[in-house]
Amino acid sequence: MLTCIRGGRVVDPVNGRDGIADIWIRDARIIAPPAAGSRADATYDATGKIVMAGAIDIHSHIAGANVNAARLLLPELHAVEAHASGPTFSAFETGRRYALMGFTTVVEPAISPEQAIQAQLELADVPVIDKGILAILGNDDFLLNLIHSKQGANAVSDYVAWTIEATRALGIKVINAGGAAAFKANARAFAFDDVVPFYGASSREIVKALQHGVHHAGVPHPLHVHCNNLGLPGNVDTALATIAAAEDLPLHLAHLQFYGYGTAGPRGFSSEAARLAEAVNGAKHVTIDVGQVMFGQTVTVSSDVLRQFNGRSAAHPRKWLIVDGDANGGGIVPYRYRATNFVNVVQWAVGLELFLLIEDPNKVLFTTDHPNGAPFTAYPELFALLMDREHRAETIADLPADAIAMSTLAAIGREYSLAEIATMTRAAPARLLGLADRGHLGAGALADVAVYADDRDRAAMFRAAALVFKDGELVVRDGQVTRYRWGRALSVRAPHATAIERRMRDYYAERYGIGPEAVRVSASLIDRPDPFEDVPCRT
Amino acid sequence: MADAWIEGRPAAMDAAVAEAAKLLAASRLPVVAGLGTDVAGARAAVALAQRIGGVVDHMHAGAVLRELDVVRTAGLIVTTPSEAALRADTLLLVGPGLAAAWPEIAHALLGRAPDRRWVAGRRRVHWVCPGAPASSLGAEVVSIERVGTDPTHLKAVLGALRARIAGRPCGRTALSPQALEDLAAALTAARFGVAVWANAALDALAIEMLGGIINDLNATTRFCGLPLGPSDNAQGVLQVCGWMSGFPMRTSFARGVAEHDPWRFDARRLIDSGESECVLWISAYRAAQPDWERDVPMIALTVPDAGFRRPPRVRITVGRPGVDHDGIECSLARGALCAVAATRKSPALSVAQAIARITSALGSGEAAAQRTASC
Repeated sequence: MLTCIRGGRVVDPVNGRDGIADIWIRDARIIAPPAAGSRADATYDATGKIVMAGAIDIHSHIAGANVNAARLLLPELHAVEAHASGPTFSAFETGRRYALMGFTTVVEPAISPEQAIQAQLELADVPVIDKGILAILGNDDFLLNLIHSKQGANAVSDYVAWTIEATRALGIKVINAGGAAAFKANARAFAFDDVVPFYGASSREIVKALQHGVHHAGVPHPLHVHCNNLGLPGNVDTALATIAAAEDLPLHLAHLQFYGYGTAGPRGFSSEAARLAEAVNGAKHVTIDVGQVMFGQTVTVSSDVLRQFNGRSAAHPRKWLIVDGDANGGGIVPYRYRATNFVNVVQWAVGLELFLLIEDPNKVLFTTDHPNGAPFTAYPELFALLMDREHRAETIADLPADAIAMSTLAAIGREYSLAEIATMTRAAPARLLGLADRGHLGAGALADVAVYADDRDRAAMFRAAALVFKDGELVVRDGQVTRYRWGRALSVRAPHATAIERRMRDYYAERYGIGPEAVRVSASLIDRPDPFEDVPCRT
Repeated sequence: MADAWIEGRPAAMDAAVAEAAKLLAASRLPVVAGLGTDVAGARAAVALAQRIGGVVDHMHAGAVLRELDVVRTAGLIVTTPSEAALRADTLLLVGPGLAAAWPEIAHALLGRAPDRRWVAGRRRVHWVCPGAPASSLGAEVVSIERVGTDPTHLKAVLGALRARIAGRPCGRTALSPQALEDLAAALTAARFGVAVWANAALDALAIEMLGGIINDLNATTRFCGLPLGPSDNAQGVLQVCGWMSGFPMRTSFARGVAEHDPWRFDARRLIDSGESECVLWISAYRAAQPDWERDVPMIALTVPDAGFRRPPRVRITVGRPGVDHDGIECSLARGALCAVAATRKSPALSVAQAIARITSALGSGEAAAQRTASC
């Protein structure tokens, strides 16, 4: 099958292209333009339209026990018109909505290993797009024992590789390293150099051990860090300390917006985004995603059980679920960000400052930490804020001036170009996840392509793609999904010593009474053909 | 022995499948009920209900929704079975039905030695309102401090306990004031306490009161709940309903979108009221019987030894998950969806396979097939 997308403006920064060109697809791959006179089996006219690779979301909570608990907790959010509300979409609706916006790969970033089967089952029911998970380590008894007993880097890296293999994950995330374990011993706050009771490991030691472990295991995606002290005034110091701790190995900091807070001003809550952005600009090995806040009803879904426990008093509506899990656990706390609330407006400004003050769009990835800052369905409005300074100024004018004054946002004139958007939402996430054949439109790339009308209203443009191709197949046309297909879950196969297998069997049997095979993900558990796609390790 | 019957008479599987498809296609509001099945069976059942515009309900939805209603109106702090066993220095058992909900409770929780790093001394176990001898827990292995009271007084006792933990006065209850004081002091002194109850045995008010006690105790110490769900993989089916429809069981697809209502979409009410006139009954773990009074055309996917008051219109024998075939179900030991391997594989159809055959017999022509989820 030969397909041609003809005459669109191709925005493909990986290959240095921004101009009118044809994109040719043979079956599932993009190919170099064939010899003149070649006839495509299908031709799509993209004149006047923007052609980009399919977008990639590296951090969106779309599956797993916590996300599902949020669905069950909040029937009223989708009771009026089924599936109408963002925070609690069904698996099916999740895939549909992402595809409409031209997203073709989405990573669920927080799955406890014992919940991996459920998460992969849920993702297998998300249509159209490809997906993957990050497995959570860092509050688990096994790792804390390894660190405590100083068993060395190889032991940690074998455990990382084993976990990735058992859960079929794309990488590892650490969430409030040590904080959930300390909470079980009644800690109510936990900072980067605090030590976990009973285990004697500090948060810093856990993060460093995992950072090295992930690197040595050859996992392409660097350790994905959710820092301590999320959401607290003055927590910029935690983020700065974590950035500095990256040293000379890659580290990804998730939803940095939630750590951009100082204590200045009459209310003791201010933006420190400018300092944070400067630190990110200067840290060669650090990437971040933003976790932008947008105003409206949502639900916070987090495996930072300590943070969610402390935050439950702010629940809106007033109900919540807190889970002290085997390791991280988590919490579901519905929340409404208000454009009239001082703190919420500062949070909104911090996110935009990070986007606009971090210079390299390869280092700042586009997320709302769905649904924690906002549902992913708010992305189009966020693109508009980044790409249109007049629109931004109008929005700011309607917000409380005292809150805006706590940030530098009003003074920033930068506008994202289409090429920068393509870098931030395509090239950078593909590179960060080690997906060489995604995020660009060069020959050999997977034919995931999004075509948008070049609308001055950028929100309208990105809300509904004109055409989306997944694996070369047309799946969206004029804002409607025209073809449902099942994507694959991306997973890394990292080599590890066989001794860890036996060790984990013994540990599981002793601790849980059932072996690791009960929670191990395998293709045979997923009722779809070829549910997984292997991502190679770094060489 | 036959594995398919029509009107109580042995039939060819193809004929039974065709008859089932015919009944479902002809129904205005088919109900997929029972739902005692593994994850694959539940996925197939929900997808079928979406396709034919039916309702999904589980035989234990009442107990599932009782706990869920507390969470979705108030809040709850819970933990996992292994954290309870390893970390808890104090266990508060509440009400009857614990061993029924968790047959391994004696050795998996009560008799298990906690991790010595966290629990230095002896673990204290209190049981409020047993309503049954301690031996029913198989708990002679541990010493249980029983706070005996009549089960009907449980809510008042829990209310008084909550008041005393918060330092508020309370009226007289079935418990002596001293016993109440001692229990409140013991719970407050816990370092990591866990309250254990069976959702099927308590009402929503009792669960909400327990949730309040747990929340209040967390003002100064750590305390969690360990609600024990009902059997027949109800918790696993709950998860499947959640991600497939966005809602728990008792959800209807009759109007083309998912709608959840614990009263409207209660299978028993729908059938006894005459709103629904066709049932697909699924019970693959044991020979569970429907609890409605009215006779309606029924397609039953059940284990072999099921007996019915009246023979179902169509009956197809299915295998047991974890016995006849591999499956995925909510594990009591892990509180998560876990794989279970067949203990003696047999050629019996799984629920998922039986539904797949019925679904394909529905064909693609009828209007009800136009649901988006048919992909």
